[in-house]
Amino acid sequence: MSVFYEKFERHAHGEGLKGQSTHYCAGCGHGLAHKYLADAIAELGIQDTTVLVSPVGCSVFAYYYFDTGNTQAAHGRAAAVALGHKMANPEATVISYQGDGDLASIGLAETVAAAQLGAPITVIFINNAIYGMTGGQMAPTTLMGQKTATSPDGRNQFNGMPIKMAELIAQLDGPVYVERVALFSPAERRKAAKAIKKAIQIQKEGRGYAFVEVLAECPTHLKLMPDQSEKWVKENMVPIFPLGVKKDTVGEPWFKLAEPDFDAKHFVKAVGASSDATDRFCKTFATHLNPIDISLKLAGSGGDGAQTAAMLIATAAINEGFDGTHIPAYGPESRGGTSYADVHVAKDEVLNPASPTPDILLAFNAPSLAKFGITVKKGGFILYDSSIAKDVKPMDPSITVVGVPFAEIAAGLGNMVVKNIVALGALQAATGLFPKETFMAAIKQALKDKAKLIPLNEQAFDAGVKAAQEFLAAKKR
Amino acid sequence: MAQVKERPKPFLVSDYCKGCGRCVSVCVKGCIAFADEINPTTGVVPIVLDLEKCTGCGLCIDACPEPYGLRALEAGEEFELQDPAKLFGDKLREVTKPVDIPAEKVALPKTGPLVIKGNYASAIGAILAGCRHVFGYPITPSTEGAELMAKLQPKLGGVFLQAVSEVATVNHMYGTGGAGLPTMTFTSSPGFSLMLEGVSYMIGAEVPGVFVNIMRGGPGLGNIAPEQADVKLACHGLGHGHTHAITLMPSTPQEMLDLTILAFELTFKYRSPVLVMADGYLGQMTGKVQLPDHMIKPGIPSWAVYGDRDHRGNLISSIQLQESDLEVFNRYLQTKYESMKVEARSETFLTDDSEILLVACNTPARAAKGAVQNLRDHGIKAGLFRPITIWPFPVDQLKALLPKTKRLVVVEANAGGQIENELRLALSLAGVEKLPPITSVRRFGGLLPQQTEVVDHVMSICGK
Repeated sequence: MSVFYEKFERHAHGEGLKGQSTHYCAGCGHGLAHKYLADAIAELGIQDTTVLVSPVGCSVFAYYYFDTGNTQAAHGRAAAVALGHKMANPEATVISYQGDGDLASIGLAETVAAAQLGAPITVIFINNAIYGMTGGQMAPTTLMGQKTATSPDGRNQFNGMPIKMAELIAQLDGPVYVERVALFSPAERRKAAKAIKKAIQIQKEGRGYAFVEVLAECPTHLKLMPDQSEKWVKENMVPIFPLGVKKDTVGEPWFKLAEPDFDAKHFVKAVGASSDATDRFCKTFATHLNPIDISLKLAGSGGDGAQTAAMLIATAAINEGFDGTHIPAYGPESRGGTSYADVHVAKDEVLNPASPTPDILLAFNAPSLAKFGITVKKGGFILYDSSIAKDVKPMDPSITVVGVPFAEIAAGLGNMVVKNIVALGALQAATGLFPKETFMAAIKQALKDKAKLIPLNEQAFDAGVKAAQEFLAAKKR
Repeated sequence: MAQVKERPKPFLVSDYCKGCGRCVSVCVKGCIAFADEINPTTGVVPIVLDLEKCTGCGLCIDACPEPYGLRALEAGEEFELQDPAKLFGDKLREVTKPVDIPAEKVALPKTGPLVIKGNYASAIGAILAGCRHVFGYPITPSTEGAELMAKLQPKLGGVFLQAVSEVATVNHMYGTGGAGLPTMTFTSSPGFSLMLEGVSYMIGAEVPGVFVNIMRGGPGLGNIAPEQADVKLACHGLGHGHTHAITLMPSTPQEMLDLTILAFELTFKYRSPVLVMADGYLGQMTGKVQLPDHMIKPGIPSWAVYGDRDHRGNLISSIQLQESDLEVFNRYLQTKYESMKVEARSETFLTDDSEILLVACNTPARAAKGAVQNLRDHGIKAGLFRPITIWPFPVDQLKALLPKTKRLVVVEANAGGQIENELRLALSLAGVEKLPPITSVRRFGGLLPQQTEVVDHVMSICGK
């Protein structure tokens, strides 16, 4: 039973001779490679599971002939498409069948990447040293001196040298089997058929990536009779593209993909969702700060913990049933330079998550205080690290300015990392955004895998609260 | 005496011989020669067989490049030379007509909201939609999507493959999507440009797939800050040929999740790629994200090339070699695009009595929303119309608001007014001739229109 369709319905709707005749020219090597591929598929009993990926080039219409699953790929992308099929169904036998322009020129990156990945796909590479479909132009494998439509005086050094794909692929770590074969004699044809079968067998057994380069005849564009073109391949191509096994390190089967998992519990665990209700501590929304939507800006240097503190505020808001948002300034700045975050806490819905004119500014250093202090709304709050920012310029008298030595307090606790938690404590005491319990619940949530650090964080928070209260009390006196 | 099995001898229907002669030289017995005359059906000189000396060595059969050229006569095989349809027997291939294996819903327990970035929300949305095959190439500001997928997919039996380029990415998707499974990628503007070749092929071959494009500043390398300058690409530039794709424009992390799920539903409903386009700011924005009550376990559509018996007869291809075939296909595509128009979606905010109608998508819609509130505080009847699909443009929904709209103000993050152009084109095609004056607030280069800028603009056009 042949793997070829009984009738080539896809070949011009199977009309006339096209129903049983290929589109290839007389004596073309593709037909032979097709036959050996079809025989291999039949002999290995894998017709049902085979997906053949056809390229752009003369073999673009391979799907006319093979009674298997078929996908037609963009020029050069067949290996990438083949990997997509293999990942989708690891049980499928995926064969990428490509010519020299497709595999060795436009698709070189995809070819090499797929080979190096090493996943078991089979790549059949037809090298006939010419572009057939577009009408006899130079291929990456065209020989030096060979005249083509785009190397009319013969390929020369300005066109580069022919690329030896089998050798290139063989020196990669991914492939397990690489062989170059030819079609010009009964002996070579036997070897070609054998190599193609082996390359598929290796995939069938999950042993890895296999590559077979087939030196093929293009009598039409070589402008030779078929028998002369066989001779031409033997005499001219073989010295440049030596035949034989280039790599054979076929080992044990290794390729196996897990079954896609749609278990609800696994999903919930993976994304870190929780069915536990979070406790709420707020009696009302902090309308004294803003009736519906409180905007904050947290600013410092990268490493001050402004982003973490911002996330904790947004999380706390959402835990309380309010809306909360956080936008970091990101990019190169976030890796060592200025780091600032816009945070909103809204009674119902944050309309605009940006904070160009915040109700509250939390500044970890002097430049941040200078830059954003002037943007704070009248009646708002500014908290800053008084151990770093000195000589604070006077602000609008309606703004409550609170200096707390975040860094000094954290250093006193023996861990600078909690500087931002000291700041949150100060923020809580000065503004009453949320009760202390709300902040602590968010902190504990964030530290659920590092429970040992909770007491230190609570100490830091309390120290921040105390320092802010003392500052405000002193200010009153 | 044991009977020696005779080896099969070659057989040829000369109509299927192209006369290449590759068989002639291999026959040591000289059984094969070129005929004396041209075959009137094919116009070539076929070979002729004289099998008197044939030993059945088979070398000629191995040398024949045609599947139905020189063949071995199998035992009992018969030919009906008069009837080409029955030439090789009338054993028609058993065709199993594949059926759709439907997707299933998997109930999820009720959980509290997640507090996550837009990019993460989109990734989780894809997982909820049943996507277990993600391909991607890292590019700021979309990388968190790929990073979360690299972390989560292996835990859920899925695949995250970091491709060698965006070109490879879209072609991995072409393979997995062609196999009938949900697949997606995260990218950003320069990467999306690189994928457009593949998007055109996916549309032509009717392959589903979801592209999340977290837009950044361009052209060229531009920068990594937010922009909305890929709208024209999504609406009018998806590679070569007659291409369109439903393009969803989220404006909150929650919508990043919801619209990614919707994108998967639509990509399979229409067998065509779907885009989710957000600006870089939204990708980085953290907010409240509530999970739905179920996730999807995908099935396999009947058209898939999955690599099994049922789907063996299928083909994924964008080739229509005959002009008349391609014309028929493109008529069909146009009908499909027309049918997508029911997916046009939008949201309004305080438009019941609005006279100044702001139009904005993505993060600029948040600034505009804030501005509406401010403007109302100043006694200006402002409202917001937010297209959720930029293609198809929600023109009917907008048209309904026009009678009481005195001014349209388009707020967007690109220089050329790409969203405004979509609006104008959609209204024009819908036959709306009389438009209220349209003005705009545009920032670009990585800067977004600010709430205060929108307020100031509207105040000034209102003479306040």
